[in-house]
Amino acid sequence: MKIDRRSFLALTIGGAAGTALTPLPWKLTDDSSIWSQNWPWTPVPAKGENSYAFTSCNLCPGGCGLMVRMVGDRAVKIEGLEGHPVNDGGVCVLGLSGLQLLYGATRVKSPMKRVGKRGAGHWKKISWKAALAEVAEKLGKLRDDNQSHTVACVTGSKYGTVPALFKRFMTVYGSPNVMTTPSVSDTLEMALQVMHGVEAQVGYDVENADYILSFGSGLIEGWGSPVRMFRANSAWRESGAKVVQVEPRLSNTAAKSDQWIPINPGTEAALAMGIAHVLIKEALYDDDFIRNYTEGFAGWMLMVLEEYTPEKVASITGIDKMVIVKVAREFAGAGKPLALCGRANGETPGSLAEAMAVHTVNALVGNINQEGGVVAVPVPEYAAWPEIGLDSTAQNGMAKDRVDGAGSDAFSLAESLLNRFAEGAMSAKAYPVNALLVSDANPVYTTPGAKDFKKAVEKIPFVVSFSAYLDETAQQADLVLPNHVYLERYEDMPVMTGLQKPMVGLIQPVVYPLHDTKNVGDTIIELAKTMGGSIGDAFPWGSYEACLEEALGDKWEMLNEDGLWQDEAFQPAAWGEAFATASGKFEFMNPAMNLMPSYVPLNLEGNASTFPLLLMPFDSMRLASGFISNPPFVIKSVEDTMLKKKDVCVEVNPATAKPLGLADGKLATLSTPKGEARVRIYHYDGIMPGVVAIPRGLGHTADDKYMAGKGVNVNELIGSVEDRASGLDTAWGVRAKLAKA
Amino acid sequence: MDSALIPKGVKRCPLPQFGAALMIVGAVLLWGVFALLLVWFKGLNQTNMNNAYGFALWIWADLGVIALGGGAFFTGFLKYIVGKDELKNIINFAVLIGFICYSSALLILAIDVGQPLRSWFIFWHANVHSMLTEVAFCLSCYFGVLTIEYIPLILENRQVDKVPFFHNLSHNMHEVMAIFAATGAFLSFFHQGSLGGVAGVMFGRPFGFREHILIWPYSFFLFTWSAAACGPCFTIFVTKLTEKIAGKKLVKDNVIELLAKISGWMLFTYIIAKSIDTIYWANVTVPSMGHTLMDFYSNNPGSVYGIWMLIAEIGVCGLLPAVILITEKGRKTPALLWTAVILASIGVLLNRWVMVLQVMAVPVLPFETWNRYFPSWQEIATTILPVAYGVILLMISYRYLPIFPQEAELNPIEEPDPAPAMEAEGDAEAVEIAQDAELAPAKG
Amino acid sequence: MKEAQGHKKNKKFGMVIDLDKCTGCGACMVACMAENNVPFQEDESDKLLGTAWMRVYKMTNGKPFPETDVCYIPRPCMHCEGHAGHSPCVSVCPATATDYDNHTGVVSQIYTRCFGCRYCMAACPYHARVFNWWDPVWPADMEKMLNPDVSVRMRGVVEKCSFCYHRYQQAMEKAYYEERQDIEEDEYQTSCTQACPAGAITFGDLNNPDHAVHQLAKPDNKHGGRPKNPHAFRLLERLGTNPKVYYLSSREWVIRAGDNYVKNEKTGSGGH
Ligand code: SF4
Ligand code: SF4
Ligand code: SF4
Ligand code: SF4
Ligand code: SF4
Repeated sequence: MKIDRRSFLALTIGGAAGTALTPLPWKLTDDSSIWSQNWPWTPVPAKGENSYAFTSCNLCPGGCGLMVRMVGDRAVKIEGLEGHPVNDGGVCVLGLSGLQLLYGATRVKSPMKRVGKRGAGHWKKISWKAALAEVAEKLGKLRDDNQSHTVACVTGSKYGTVPALFKRFMTVYGSPNVMTTPSVSDTLEMALQVMHGVEAQVGYDVENADYILSFGSGLIEGWGSPVRMFRANSAWRESGAKVVQVEPRLSNTAAKSDQWIPINPGTEAALAMGIAHVLIKEALYDDDFIRNYTEGFAGWMLMVLEEYTPEKVASITGIDKMVIVKVAREFAGAGKPLALCGRANGETPGSLAEAMAVHTVNALVGNINQEGGVVAVPVPEYAAWPEIGLDSTAQNGMAKDRVDGAGSDAFSLAESLLNRFAEGAMSAKAYPVNALLVSDANPVYTTPGAKDFKKAVEKIPFVVSFSAYLDETAQQADLVLPNHVYLERYEDMPVMTGLQKPMVGLIQPVVYPLHDTKNVGDTIIELAKTMGGSIGDAFPWGSYEACLEEALGDKWEMLNEDGLWQDEAFQPAAWGEAFATASGKFEFMNPAMNLMPSYVPLNLEGNASTFPLLLMPFDSMRLASGFISNPPFVIKSVEDTMLKKKDVCVEVNPATAKPLGLADGKLATLSTPKGEARVRIYHYDGIMPGVVAIPRGLGHTADDKYMAGKGVNVNELIGSVEDRASGLDTAWGVRAKLAKA
Repeated sequence: MDSALIPKGVKRCPLPQFGAALMIVGAVLLWGVFALLLVWFKGLNQTNMNNAYGFALWIWADLGVIALGGGAFFTGFLKYIVGKDELKNIINFAVLIGFICYSSALLILAIDVGQPLRSWFIFWHANVHSMLTEVAFCLSCYFGVLTIEYIPLILENRQVDKVPFFHNLSHNMHEVMAIFAATGAFLSFFHQGSLGGVAGVMFGRPFGFREHILIWPYSFFLFTWSAAACGPCFTIFVTKLTEKIAGKKLVKDNVIELLAKISGWMLFTYIIAKSIDTIYWANVTVPSMGHTLMDFYSNNPGSVYGIWMLIAEIGVCGLLPAVILITEKGRKTPALLWTAVILASIGVLLNRWVMVLQVMAVPVLPFETWNRYFPSWQEIATTILPVAYGVILLMISYRYLPIFPQEAELNPIEEPDPAPAMEAEGDAEAVEIAQDAELAPAKG
Repeated sequence: MKEAQGHKKNKKFGMVIDLDKCTGCGACMVACMAENNVPFQEDESDKLLGTAWMRVYKMTNGKPFPETDVCYIPRPCMHCEGHAGHSPCVSVCPATATDYDNHTGVVSQIYTRCFGCRYCMAACPYHARVFNWWDPVWPADMEKMLNPDVSVRMRGVVEKCSFCYHRYQQAMEKAYYEERQDIEEDEYQTSCTQACPAGAITFGDLNNPDHAVHQLAKPDNKHGGRPKNPHAFRLLERLGTNPKVYYLSSREWVIRAGDNYVKNEKTGSGGH
């Protein structure tokens, strides 16, 4: 049949109409929308039985209790444990994001051996057996060559069984070089040692204080146990306690405080001394305490009256004389005044004289070991492990001086000085460092003068990391023997961040290990056994869990049941029994060590004409600045006034920025004697003119695209400045220059 | 070559020249299609919109083309309902422009939504409270009406018309066109208004919000009014432009002048209404929400949104063209007429810009700052795409359809028509081309 | 808009956020992301492209050093009641993909019905609505942490804070299972409320005089829910959005920063 034009058209039109009347187009329309509702690349979470698993958070030293919501064997959400003495249900951004570390791309999934150049990121998987054998062989050889003391070890904390296992290992092995990541706790501990004569941690009864005078402490920016401090801050709002924040920058703490006193950077100790002056001059101090329980007041007092008149202090601190006097009077007049120290989140140890100065302000009003005051809290005691026998190699090694100089004549109070390690290792004055073990720490990122630290590490022939994540330090390692993530393992966690009572939390596994990783406690025990001899003998346990149980002794049962042990009955020692100094009293001065509460100006690196500004790091709860990198959720919470695309924002007062021609939002170069970085200008009225600030916790180079390559690591721009008395880092900032990019 | 398809009694440029022009515009069209595919496959991340700029260039383009396409309904309204019979000489072209504008609007909407495959939910799960629901319904219906109005034109193609069925169909459609024109006018009054209502009902956005009469915000009426005023201006503008390009007169002056005069008065009255609205809004509505008029016109980055916008919209692009068009001298002076229709078209586009983009830019939360936006190339390309498509459809329609009834009369051809032999082959080809012309917009 | 059931009193869930306590720590934002399967991107510094349901804004008093002051203000969806359930966003959605539930006062969002026209976003003055500009991606094993109680949203749709409505459903289910007619105040708490380390957020039924939110905000239902507590305010109250999130502050400049005022106008005056 010939199809003519007419029938062709009729067919076409008829066909179209026909199709429209059939269900086909409608069905297709419907199906395509249903398809769009079920795109195969949009995941559908699997269902499962709901339950909760309980553990503790170890992403910071805060010691929060956690409950993890489980669906089947998946952990889907971290929540704060209700009723927990530290956090009672609250939890911070980092704690909430823990599952992204567990399930994230940055995990080390099995032991790995470097194959390419150091830090080039080329690895090959190896077995645990091979990995342990290699470490044992390398360390064994050094020991055979009487070089055991040239092995160094860095751990995150100094408390708890895992650091203790490392210390034990290093001791029987024969090296004194065990270091920990420093913090203000170290300085405060020394202050107690000098002034109280006791080995204890400083606890603050913040909840019961009614006048809080903070010398730059970031009370709601990660200082102490963060969630506990948030709760305290809210309690102060309800009780009407007054909070006075002394700080050059309007931090969140300053903004939340009742009174913000801007101060010239680094002069907090002078203000403390000025307040002491007023307290003494106006006889506002606690006469009973001073008269009966202190030593050396008379001599120190004369110095204070002479050196720290409000006029002088005003000129040092830039604070109005009358404000100083008024604050001192208010402080003395308050029912339960409390002075706090430790700048920002307390990651910088700070000056010992300053810690003593602030402690003295507390002592003057007699709030030592009182309700609402400062408490000397003993470290929780653990059951003793079997004695260890040191062979002659170990004895020789242990007798050597430490690389970092801690415990030497110059720094007799210090146990560990990580800030001095890089220089010691680089100069190899006494001996070179031949091996480095790193666990639960990321010093290549966190140490001020981070670039120098990295250089020192590059020089060390053998570096072993026990990190669960491929962090900056692990990237410099030759071998990574990955730990389980905290949600996969057991570990005790003594909480040493300013609580009033001794407390230990228990980290418990909530999921089965995802990868071929090992609890670092087990790794150490197995390593010791592989090495054998006196070393193996010192580790008689079959597993880390057995060791943990033994160490915790009678605390284990309570810990296992409640996930927490707390010495409920603990009472601070009465003044009569509190002090174990030579005099048996609170000592204002230690003439032997030439130590007393005072203001010691800091010589910042760089000269003021090349670097006219001061750069200070600041802390934010929305960034993790410790050894843990920022998981995607944390990065998502970062304000756009801190990070814009890949550039960190530098806070500059408009009055400082405008003469330099630095418009808000523009790119600029920030340079310091340590280095240079591209930054974005952020005009912030809350920062003192002449001072600029960038957040700590950015600029990671390790980990995946969600975590790395954002902003700069402030530790690469600042260096460390040694405290004369303690040897610890006391740099609160660095000289800097800003110029148009 | 294609002369068999060209309407009787008129002259068209040689086919190669036409083809070359078509190719240039076609290249732009393809660029737009490429961007469109990117957007459809990769999603709206291809744009520079963000959570504060949920409505941006595309919505403006939508509102803009619909306003400019308003010439169709208003001319139809004048011809079929008011009875201005002279307008029959421009109504075809007005309908064609309207058809292009509305099909473009639908296309842009299909790009603009995040889930195009679910667009039909707007009908299935319709929310009667939403201005967009009304827009969607009226817009689709009116597009149907425009298609029906456009079909008889296609049927008038010399070759198509030879088919008796089409000839009769065309004739019958012409008979009932008044009904469709009336329906179209009715629908348009509503959806033009609803588009105005889109911003007018947003009581969370002080810059867009307008007080209501019953359920309709003032902007509802102002949008219909301005489309009726400026749409015909755009029709005149495109007519004049076509004349310029074709190099000959296509519509008699009296027709243009009539339309211009009516537009002028519409525009004049619109501007009065708009001014009253603005004064009331600035002095009553805005302060009740805690703002002053100048909050919306100052302190923004680059001072883009200055009070000049209001002056430009109401004065330069409103009052000025209105005055030109209502004065006889103005209408009759070509330069002035050109100026007036261009300014009026810009004015309505500016109004739509303000009612979309400035509404999004103005900060509402007291601690927020002005939102910035500049379209991505994909947005720009997809916005130019309908322009290219429109030009192509205009070119083809002008070449092959008797769009301008007065063209032959105004441009008599001296030499006898060199009608080529009627081969069967040529015939089939002709139908095909005609079909293409018909199908192209339906695809959009 | 669903009609009220005759026999049961309608609830009106709402929130009171104490800005004196809020530290701007952001835990509420992250608690929300973790609970509600909120996706993330490589670059999250452009807050207007992100998908956070809860955003903590930083406000300053605009004064120079050292008179400067800062206050953080967390902003979930306000679950605006508008006038009789005509929230700014609900009334404009052409596809009824977002709705006002008269039983609970919660503004819902149906992701599978939303077709991404973003009219609701344009209408919301709080920027509480966010669009999925990208396909959501959970790298490595992160899909394992997805919460099965909240559906994952596909590219091209709008999402927003739901007041953790799934938690309400679960609490109600449990109550029915235990043959109780209703739930207790603490049985339905949102993820952000629960996580806030400062205890700054309080959540509950604004219609229930026993609930803390009612006692803190003292809403005056005769006047569109306006707070009777002089330290309480709502964001952009004058627009008539009738939000169900109240803020507390003891600072005058903060209260004033909650709404727009013409110069010299008294704080708290005007309004619909
Ligand atoms: S404060 Fe520290 S311990 Fe507590 S949840 Fe946050 S990271 Fe974990
Ligand atoms: S979690 Fe609480 S304190 Fe932190 S930002 Fe949110 S509301 Fe404020
Ligand atoms: S805050 Fe925005 S999204 Fe939420 S109910 Fe109100 S208008 Fe709608
Ligand atoms: S984007 Fe979705 S929810 Fe919003 S108005 Fe459009 S269809 Fe409704
Ligand atoms: S109420 Fe739930 S959904 Fe809303 S912001 Fe809080 S956590 Fe997110």
